[in-house]
Amino acid sequence: MDSFDQKLSKNDGMTDSALLGSDPEFDTWLSRQLQFDEPYLDDDGFCEQVMAKLPAPSKRSEKRATRMQYAAVVAASAIVAWQFPFGEVLNEAVRQSVSLYSLVGAGLLASLAAMTGGILAARR
Amino acid sequence: MDLNDEELIRRIVEDGDQRAYAQLVRRYQSQLRFSLRQLCDGDQGLADDMAQEAFIKAYKALPAFRGDARFSTWLYRIAYNLVMSHKRKNAPEVNQELVDRAQAEESVEESQQLGMARDLHSAMEELSEAQRQAVHLCMQRGFSHEEAASIMKLPLGTVKSHVNRARAKLQSLLQAWREEVVSG
Repeated sequence: MDSFDQKLSKNDGMTDSALLGSDPEFDTWLSRQLQFDEPYLDDDGFCEQVMAKLPAPSKRSEKRATRMQYAAVVAASAIVAWQFPFGEVLNEAVRQSVSLYSLVGAGLLASLAAMTGGILAARR
Repeated sequence: MDLNDEELIRRIVEDGDQRAYAQLVRRYQSQLRFSLRQLCDGDQGLADDMAQEAFIKAYKALPAFRGDARFSTWLYRIAYNLVMSHKRKNAPEVNQELVDRAQAEESVEESQQLGMARDLHSAMEELSEAQRQAVHLCMQRGFSHEEAASIMKLPLGTVKSHVNRARAKLQSLLQAWREEVVSG
């Protein structure tokens, strides 16, 4: 019987043409075995260490991100304002004798609260 | 939400979103660290340091990443360059104590594994360094020959030759196991 080393030296003597004859079944089997044999390495703080050593993101990209967030909030607010039935609410308020000043005040407060919430949510 | 590499890279480069990069690190850390442990002859500490450096270097170079290759190929190329460069600079200063300890730990684990895994490991040890790396990249990581050649900085024909020769050796050494599996 050939020893381990003898087998190896025989294989080393193979011609390239012989070696090129691939065996897809063997390739699949070998890939599976190699992958099956591989353990998953737990993060164990590796990711945190990498992230701690990263340089801060450039101001330019931060500003661009902030501008995009503000633009999204303004667009959303505009759509809400466009769809909101101001006329009906006003008529209803007049009909129910609610003072115009308190209505405008309440509207402004509600808009401010919505925009602040939107901006905070976008920044987070 | 699990975003693909391209979308994560876009967020990092355009929005400076570091959380997106954390996702990429988590996605590839295990595979890269495992690959580098093999490349560093079992020195786990060195492999992890190299992997960490590779991720940091990749992050800094990300704006220049043109997307010609997959992110994983690009990352592996950076990591392999770092390890090879480290090996060239520190060839005589291998921390033998660390290596011995890592190998001893591996031996304990190996003794608990099935025979096939042990024999596969032994067979892989019989390959040359370049053959082992080529098989690892192409058959374990699923990189194409072209991608492996780009990572290893070798001509395509050389990588194909390494893979073919390694495959032939492994086929011969593991034939008994394969027949056992086929015959049930």
